Amino acid sequence: MRNCKFEEMINEYLLNRLTEDEKSTFEEHYFNCPSCFEKMVERDELIAAIKYKGQEIFKDEYVAESAKGETWWEKATSFLTPKQWATAAISAVLVAVIVFGILPMLKPTSPQFYIYDDAVRGSKITLISPVWESETVPSKFEWQKMGEDVEYKIYIYDKDNVVWNYATKDNSIIIPVNIKNTFVSGKIYSWQVKAFSAEGNLVSLSLKVQFKIHDPE
Amino acid sequence: MGEEKQKNQLEEVFVKYKPIVTFRVKKSLGAYNPDCDDVANEIITNVIEKIKKGEFRGESSVGTFIYTITSRRIIDYIRQKSKVLKHVPEPASYPDPQEQIEDKERAEMIATAIKKLKPKYREVLYLYYYKEFSREEVALKLGISPRRVSERVNYSQKLLKKLIKT
Repeated sequence: MRNCKFEEMINEYLLNRLTEDEKSTFEEHYFNCPSCFEKMVERDELIAAIKYKGQEIFKDEYVAESAKGETWWEKATSFLTPKQWATAAISAVLVAVIVFGILPMLKPTSPQFYIYDDAVRGSKITLISPVWESETVPSKFEWQKMGEDVEYKIYIYDKDNVVWNYATKDNSIIIPVNIKNTFVSGKIYSWQVKAFSAEGNLVSLSLKVQFKIHDPE
Repeated sequence: MGEEKQKNQLEEVFVKYKPIVTFRVKKSLGAYNPDCDDVANEIITNVIEKIKKGEFRGESSVGTFIYTITSRRIIDYIRQKSKVLKHVPEPASYPDPQEQIEDKERAEMIATAIKKLKPKYREVLYLYYYKEFSREEVALKLGISPRRVSERVNYSQKLLKKLIKT
């Protein structure tokens, strides 16, 4: 069976990973391609089920993950393969040679240079929940992870006043009970997440998203 | 345009494009935004009116014609909302399907089927969709090629389809 070349974009579209241009291209495409649309709907249902029931479905995977018993060294090194480690080592040597060997020689004319974290610069954080109305006071706030070594600051606002803020390296946070108790039903709050690089520079921020807590009546 | 032909086209708009328009609207506004159904219905009505008035002249495909109307309406909606709210809420990617009973049942069914899959397939679904690692990250974690990650995901879907049918 011949596959449509757009099919590969289905996952990326559903997981919100396409750029605006790619997104519109793909959207126009599925208005014209019944096969892609059908596959996308199926995939969407699958992802929705996984998101909704994941904790239950993947009980075994959770156990496997925590019981793996990797040593700290394996954990620290396993994110790169040996080949990539070799490449990294060679690059490190090269950088050392350039920084300590060549740059000092050029010193009088060399411009200052800065290291930018390109992985996160210019991208936007997507807030996951809560994003609209909430039956109960939300205690968990979640957003999309931006990459390693990023610190997030979450702000909760009542109108323009910050009610609470907190810094974390995780992509979710449970808010403390005493803060939780100050939320009033029926009132509209908003929240926002800012991401900072290891050097403390603001690299990205999310939209300010509102959430409302239903009146329990 | 012949009357018969137009009638067929209008029927096609309803049967074939209503689900597509609804999907697109939900994706942009958030699946549980209460306005979704109204916006989608409005778009379909608008499309039908335009076709009746002869505004669709076949310069593009019907799909692209409807896509353009849909996108415009969504942009309008977001603009209106942002005037009122100042900040437009971003749609939740996958909120709990608690409200729609049908969705909930469907999700349960799929979940039960996933539990029956071999660990090899569950593992890929877990990392790729639940943990949302990129294809490359999943490949690295499992020691297989990215191409293979996609293949496994696609194959899992096929297996699930079979499990759900029987």
